Amino acid sequence: MLVAPGQKVRSRVAWRGMNSLVGAALFVAPLLVLVAIWAIVVPLFNVNPRIFPSVGSVAEAAVAAIGDGSLIRHIGASMLRVGLGTFLGVLVAVPLGIAMGVSPAVSAFLTPLFRFFSVLAGIAWIPIATLWFGYGFGAIIFVIFNAVFFVVAYNTLLGVSTIPMTIRNAAASLGAGRWALLTEVLLPGALPNIVTGVRTGLGFAWRGLIAAEMIATNVGLGYMLFVARDFYRTEVIVLGMIVIGVLWLFIDRLLLVPLERATIERWGLVRRT
Amino acid sequence: MKTLSLKNLRKTYFDPYAGSQVTAVHDVSLDVEQGEFVSVVGPSGCGKTTILNMIAGFIPYTGDEILIDGNLVKGPGPDRGVVFQSFALFPWKTVLENVGFGPKMRGVPKDERDRTAREYLALAGLSHAADRYPNELSGGMQQRVGVVRALANNPAVLLMDEPFASVDAQTRMTLQEELTRIWQERKPTVIFITHDVAEAVFLANRVVVLSKGRVLDQIKVDLPRPRVWDHLIEDETFKRLSAQVLQMVRAA
Amino acid sequence: MNIALRFWSGYVRTTHRWPIIATIVPFIPVVAIWSIVANSGMFPRAFFPAPVDVMRSFISLTYKGILPDYLQDSLIRLLFGATIGVALGIPLGILIGSSRLAHRICWPVLLFFQAIGDIAWLPILLIWFGFGLTTMTFVIVYTVLFPIVLSTVLGVQSVHRDLARAAQSLGASPMRVLWEVTLPGALPNIITGLRNGLGYGWRALIAVEIIVGTSGIGFMMFDARRAGSTVEILLGMIVLGTLWYIVDAWILAPIERATGQRWGLVTS
Repeated sequence: MLVAPGQKVRSRVAWRGMNSLVGAALFVAPLLVLVAIWAIVVPLFNVNPRIFPSVGSVAEAAVAAIGDGSLIRHIGASMLRVGLGTFLGVLVAVPLGIAMGVSPAVSAFLTPLFRFFSVLAGIAWIPIATLWFGYGFGAIIFVIFNAVFFVVAYNTLLGVSTIPMTIRNAAASLGAGRWALLTEVLLPGALPNIVTGVRTGLGFAWRGLIAAEMIATNVGLGYMLFVARDFYRTEVIVLGMIVIGVLWLFIDRLLLVPLERATIERWGLVRRT
Repeated sequence: MKTLSLKNLRKTYFDPYAGSQVTAVHDVSLDVEQGEFVSVVGPSGCGKTTILNMIAGFIPYTGDEILIDGNLVKGPGPDRGVVFQSFALFPWKTVLENVGFGPKMRGVPKDERDRTAREYLALAGLSHAADRYPNELSGGMQQRVGVVRALANNPAVLLMDEPFASVDAQTRMTLQEELTRIWQERKPTVIFITHDVAEAVFLANRVVVLSKGRVLDQIKVDLPRPRVWDHLIEDETFKRLSAQVLQMVRAA
Repeated sequence: MNIALRFWSGYVRTTHRWPIIATIVPFIPVVAIWSIVANSGMFPRAFFPAPVDVMRSFISLTYKGILPDYLQDSLIRLLFGATIGVALGIPLGILIGSSRLAHRICWPVLLFFQAIGDIAWLPILLIWFGFGLTTMTFVIVYTVLFPIVLSTVLGVQSVHRDLARAAQSLGASPMRVLWEVTLPGALPNIITGLRNGLGYGWRALIAVEIIVGTSGIGFMMFDARRAGSTVEILLGMIVLGTLWYIVDAWILAPIERATGQRWGLVTS
């Protein structure tokens, strides 16, 4: 698409690389300061390790958990659940949302329904999911699936119904058939909403995952935290919290936010957080 | 040869709030020759946009028939290019992709449609903007893209629905002059809807005055081309024709 | 055809007059299908109860006073936590939004702590405060706080600089500028934040009530789960969904629209 002379492209890429490096440094610096404060305060006030762990003990816990492979196992289990549940949710929600959004009358009729269910999405389904599927993988996948599904379907529906009729007319008058209308107009037009839906839905799903893992399984980050509590192992709890935070930060900031920005801002559609 | 022919075109629709049928267009008949530029003027609510939407195939029509080159209109199609008041460019496509959309729908290979698109962009003086997104362009530039996007598809008729109503006054004049220039170069058949009397007279070979869903009168415009505002603004014929149309519209 | 048109016309006019009907009518086929499936015997009734069973349990639990009590507990917890969250969040957001330095320092920290997520705090909170109101309140405040701070920051930054300059040149002191310009300008975003925050907040509440619970709707649902009573779980979900729908669609969303659209600001 953007074909510029090689030299120019390379320098632009280099500049962007520098920029994001500086940005990352500026982003990490305050967090490092926070760690430094933690490292000073805990020994200074002689905090009971059963109340709050020292930096050293968390680091030791990290080394130990990495060494025996348990941390990787927990992360793997959690990510697999989120990944699979989200994938299934999006896979079903997007076609359904588009199909429902095409007709204004149908989408107006269905909007309250989907709104109701997207309000319920996630944690509120844990009790019934565990009853239907038993404690374990199935129940957790179900919770994540429906957290993502209803929010994404609702947003897709919303996205399709907000594409101006004139744009659909324009495509039709330029010779677009049904399939072309779908791929060239409806899908890209709803994409910003879909991405926002995935971001919100994943937010609910992530929390639902942690909650469900505390209740309904024997592996995963939520389980790791909850078991550590039984033994007052605050260093494991804090380690788990940091892992959860970093993972989500990566998912959200490196995957979802750039995607949202690429579509919404470039195309001049509504700006968001 | 008649490119477009409307026979006793009517439009009634059901208003759910009123619970009754409303008639927006009564028995409009109109013939447009190939290469003709017809302006349709009238006050808002006179049914001019409804007529255009019916010709474009966006809304179903009642009445006898709409023929394009002798073929009955059934729904939207590439034989009628539409230029919208709201531009209706695809925000997620670059300018080049927007202009190449029609050829793409016809299955023209990428190289060829890019070449066509660039050629039409050059016609509107937009070559530099090919890789930008519509959002990054001014209103006037966006509508230039809208016009060449419709033209690049080689339609039998170009339907323009108050295309310059949402740009500022200076840009509008430039766009009008550019449109007459492009029309002279390509000689497309054009139906141009507007409520601006001077615009209608400036552009057209024939002005159709519409009122309350009926054709009130038609006036031939025999002004010489190329038409430029600097000359026409002082031109007696132009003034007389404009005054004549204006009176009809205001009396309507 | 004509009857269908007339019927449709009637529906459009009624819903135009009473928009609530347009919200309720779509649920009728859903409840009908649910009822048919439950009565068909496709699934065991204890596993998949019918709407009638849920209704019956709603009446009996309301009559016994359990449902109102639990609902009250949940709502008070949410309200209490949300109030503290708002009281902390808005000033913090304004501070971070109006100072570049504060923004630079606090923004990553905020994002990181938001990313940890309310529920992940639960284990350590249980160690600190035990099973009780403090733990619940902490979680809700934590959940509500971040969306409010983040959107207040965004709102403050979105206020056009010329507006503040205009106010200053008309003789407003910095405090007045804050009160008359910055705060109203950021209001649509703040309300969006409140809406998001409460959305996450009540989910967190449910999770906490499930795990910590001694009372509340979340507790009711999980208690019912332990007893294997699907009816009460569904009842809990419906109560939660309805309640939140009412709050969100009829209170929060209209306020958001009223400020955002009325003033022609782009938010969403």
